[in-house]
Amino acid sequence: MKTQLTLRVNGAPRDVPLSFVGRRLLDTLRLELGLMGVKEGCGEGDCGACTVLIDGEPMCSCLLLTGVVEKCEITTIEGLPAAFLTRFSAICAEYGAVQCGYCTPGIAVMAAWLHAGGTELGDQPISKLFAGNLCRCTGYQQIIEALTALR
Amino acid sequence: MSEIQPPVQGPVSATRATERARGLARYAADLILPGTVLVGVARSPHAHARVISIDTKPALEIPGVLAVLTPADFDGIELGHPDTDEPVLTRVARYVGEAVVAVAASDQDSLLRGIEALHIDYQVLPHACSVADALTLDQPLHAAYPDNVVRRFNAKRGDWQAAEQRVSTWVSGTFQTQAVPHAYLEPRATLVRVNGELLELVTGSHFPSVLAETYREIVAGWGAQLEVVTPDIGGSFGAKWEHPTHLICLAFAHRLGCDVAMVLPRRDDMIAGRTRLAMRIQMRIGATDDGELVAKETVLWADNGAYSAHGPAVTLAAAIRMDNLYRFSALNAKAQLVYTNNIPSECFRGFGSPQSAFAQEQLIDELAERLGIDPIELRRRNAVRAGDTTLHGWQVGSCGFTECLDAIQQRVQAHQHENPPSINSRYRFGYGVAAGTHGISNRGYDRRFDRALLSLVLAPDGMLCIESGEVEIGCGTVDLFGAIVAERLKLDRERIRVVLGDTATVPYGLGCFASRTAFFGGRAALDASRQFARACSHLAIEIGLPAKASIATVIDTAVAVGRTTELRATGRYEPKHVTLPDESGYGNTSPAYTFGAHACCVRIDIVTGLTNVVHYWAAHDTGRVLNLQRARGQVVGGVHQGLGFALAETTLVDNHGRLQNPGYLDDRVATFADAVPVECIFTSTFEQEGPNGAKSIAEPPIIPVAACVANAIHNATGTRQRRLPMTPERIWRSLHTEG
Ligand code: FES
Ligand code: FES
Repeated sequence: MKTQLTLRVNGAPRDVPLSFVGRRLLDTLRLELGLMGVKEGCGEGDCGACTVLIDGEPMCSCLLLTGVVEKCEITTIEGLPAAFLTRFSAICAEYGAVQCGYCTPGIAVMAAWLHAGGTELGDQPISKLFAGNLCRCTGYQQIIEALTALR
Repeated sequence: MSEIQPPVQGPVSATRATERARGLARYAADLILPGTVLVGVARSPHAHARVISIDTKPALEIPGVLAVLTPADFDGIELGHPDTDEPVLTRVARYVGEAVVAVAASDQDSLLRGIEALHIDYQVLPHACSVADALTLDQPLHAAYPDNVVRRFNAKRGDWQAAEQRVSTWVSGTFQTQAVPHAYLEPRATLVRVNGELLELVTGSHFPSVLAETYREIVAGWGAQLEVVTPDIGGSFGAKWEHPTHLICLAFAHRLGCDVAMVLPRRDDMIAGRTRLAMRIQMRIGATDDGELVAKETVLWADNGAYSAHGPAVTLAAAIRMDNLYRFSALNAKAQLVYTNNIPSECFRGFGSPQSAFAQEQLIDELAERLGIDPIELRRRNAVRAGDTTLHGWQVGSCGFTECLDAIQQRVQAHQHENPPSINSRYRFGYGVAAGTHGISNRGYDRRFDRALLSLVLAPDGMLCIESGEVEIGCGTVDLFGAIVAERLKLDRERIRVVLGDTATVPYGLGCFASRTAFFGGRAALDASRQFARACSHLAIEIGLPAKASIATVIDTAVAVGRTTELRATGRYEPKHVTLPDESGYGNTSPAYTFGAHACCVRIDIVTGLTNVVHYWAAHDTGRVLNLQRARGQVVGGVHQGLGFALAETTLVDNHGRLQNPGYLDDRVATFADAVPVECIFTSTFEQEGPNGAKSIAEPPIIPVAACVANAIHNATGTRQRRLPMTPERIWRSLHTEG
């Protein structure tokens, strides 16, 4: 009998106990795989702090059951291309886009998705594209400036 | 004006910000290891009820449930800072969601089943979820306060009678502000690690040293010791202080002898979190015909919720602080703080001033209109200036208030020029102005002292460690301290490690509140750098280096010859000319004061009542700007929190005291789509007392916002908004009744 569930996370196969099938992907990533860059802000799909890429598309990992993404390629902030993260983080620092930083990993994942160009939405205004990512600290202006510079 | 002297630090050295953007920051919940025991609580479904009986047996029979704590386990312990009245687990529930019984379990499923299995019987008591109801409720929430009034304040200054006689025009109004949750993105999380008899409390708070001091006394009774570890903090804005979850986790950890953790789901974080104090403010302001502001009277009722914490201090601040903006001749303020069966209130960015500014700055606007004077000009004529001692005893050092007013006037005029009023049947445009002031720290906060300490310690690996009990809650403190020390000692920022809020190593700190950290901590960092440099030149001579050897060289040599322990220094800052305020808040409570003036342009949709803020200008006197991007970040962030407070955010409570909107979907904090362009202007003020001439900027930007928007709405539509939030429905109604 199957006792493990194999996920593809950040480019590598990762085994998790079968009991995680019915748990939120967010919990599996954080508690079982120790990927603490994925944050929980609300657990209800409202804040975007838990955003990961599922087969290249951004989704809220708090709203996905682990079993559902068994066959998918899952990417967390830890799995984003190093060159992208270096550039993203430098620009964030330069523009003052990070205060407490709790929202930032989710925004990084969204930005990486746009950067990879896998979407036709690329030329939509940032304020629309990122409307699912809440930030309580910055008032968004400097994040928008940083994301604009990143483009 | 708006000329900025070179910032101390360039963005390049913003190392903590870079780490955070890479997802490397570790908040309390990220530090929980697999196998940690999980803690949860059973919450009261009633707004006011006595707990009659608790049966924990069915919970304890569930496999995986390890222990249960009841109110009896915490008899005699009351929490809250500075006012203590909150039980850890309660025998009398005073708000819906208050913790009654706590459960520890080995896994999440058992935990939930355990909580479910508890039998708790309540005797429901009459409740009051508004100040008016609480004042007439014949059931005191706390036995010691039979009329539910926690505290009364009276502040009378100047010769009221004489002033009154000079008044030719009075304006008055009654204003109502709402409770809003802080809504920081990181829900409250607590981890306790057990290390023999040492309990390590890992949690984000404004004041780790004070937490440790308070809890040590309690755990000493259990024969345990305690230290606080401060992880990254995902926002707080005045919410994260003492909290029952801390002691619940400490007690379980001690009893079970293993690590325990409790992370609140967002819903619980809002239900059992904290909110801004809702206030009802009756105010009148009198002026002479030629526009001299003479007298101001305030009568204020504040909703304390179920427990006090900073409620009394916030109430007093709301009653008097905004008075200091203008040169009134006489003031008369009365305030009452009232217990209700609402979520406990807590200080929140602005410390009561956003509430009173909403009243005062609208009345100033009305006065201007009545007297036929431009609202900015009226403020300028009466503005407090450098060198003034205000009626409340503030000794104003540097003051760029009029510069702020000049700056926004210029911007607004230019904007009006570029956008001539258009006649439109659906949209109305209008401009508004409002001002604010804030002290830096508050000598009255802790009666013992107001000071900051910061140590520089050379670690054996050659890293220079900055250690302080002042913490960072997202304002950039880590990078700021790092930059100050790096600049002073001419060291690479990469050679500096910053450790804030780990009580086992850092010197005592009062913490991060009242916009004091950059100012107090910054001064202590400068002092520590001076002393460290001195220690370096002494050591240089001893080990045969030239007396003028660079700090880096001395450090390297000290590491090589094993004399690192000799290189350490503790800097301190304790302002001299501040005074402990009296009961009525009189005193020079802060070493420096900040000022600001805002303006905005709004567009009102008269069909739906929706307010759109088209443009926003925020001018601040924050002394010399230390880091332009960081300062802008505080302003833009504060303005947006203010806009949420002004237009959307609220706590909706039903007749039974149940919160109807415990989540981001229904408590509408600003999203990317709501972002408003904010133009930040900083005056050229230099504050002698501040670190490198700086003052502070964390709280000031939220203070004028609601009033500024209300004044713009009036300018656009002719209606006066007396109630927050100014939702489309309220605006629509006022258009159809007054407009
Ligand atoms: S935690 Fe998933 S959207 Fe907020
Ligand atoms: S930086 Fe704190 S929530 Fe975005």
